[in-house]
Amino acid sequence: MTGLPTVGAELPELTVRVDRATAVRYAGAATDFNPIHYSDRAASALGLPGVLAHGMWTMGAALRAVTDWVGDPARVRSYGVRFTKPVVIPATDEGTLVRVRGRVTAVSDGLVTVTLEATCGDDKVLGNAVAEVVW
Amino acid sequence: MPARATGHYRGGMPINESHVGRTYPPTPAYEVSRAKIAEFAAALGDTNPAYAGHTPIAPPTFVAVVAARAWDRMFADPELGMALHRVVHGEQAFTYDRPLRAGDLITATLTIDRVRVRGPVEFVGVTVDVATTDGDHVCSTTSTLVHTRPASDEAATATVGVAS
Repeated sequence: MTGLPTVGAELPELTVRVDRATAVRYAGAATDFNPIHYSDRAASALGLPGVLAHGMWTMGAALRAVTDWVGDPARVRSYGVRFTKPVVIPATDEGTLVRVRGRVTAVSDGLVTVTLEATCGDDKVLGNAVAEVVW
Repeated sequence: MPARATGHYRGGMPINESHVGRTYPPTPAYEVSRAKIAEFAAALGDTNPAYAGHTPIAPPTFVAVVAARAWDRMFADPELGMALHRVVHGEQAFTYDRPLRAGDLITATLTIDRVRVRGPVEFVGVTVDVATTDGDHVCSTTSTLVHTRPASDEAATATVGVAS
């Protein structure tokens, strides 16, 4: 990426698959072993709709839409999200899909602001998802 | 069972506005390793070459791994009466001075920024500052944690929220 992008420019769409193995892998990598991320029994005991992806997994996976676009993740200056809905992971080989779309919403002072939209099925799983990258 | 509280509430005023500004000692030094970076990137399905090789950087959200250790200090504070298994992760944001790199020795220091109590629900805003043990600031990360207080000690296991 060389030329400065313009406000309104769309990032390539990203689709990320998440299954139970992904959640277990993230639990180990992040050392977050809350059983709601791998145990149906634990999830249903809390009245949850099912085993949930870690919110921080969803946040991290969604940022790939930005880092794949700019190439060097060291250019990320800031990134913030609101966790609006959980990603429910069915106990199937296919798991589920998180779809991420991004759009440039501001360009100024060497910073490009990207607003992300992350959905799982009809659910918007992240809100106010905004990243700033150095340009 | 979800991860249980380490802070056993001992009565008195639970977390409230007077705790704003409270800070905890830095977490023990944590060494960012190539192996952990590789595991974390793989868990995100992220094959960016910046996360591989001999001098990788960590994916930006890796900072949360260390920030969570600072959260544990707050959950262990008996004066606040908070418990991880009654917390919903509401918001998360990072501001980076630079990326984390393999070999960084880092600590995380938590400060309580905001507390808003609405009945049994407590909205707690915290900042965790991540710096190297040499004092090189790497990242500030803010979180909004929504903690729901049980009606009584007997209800302490009636979980209404989960960490995300």
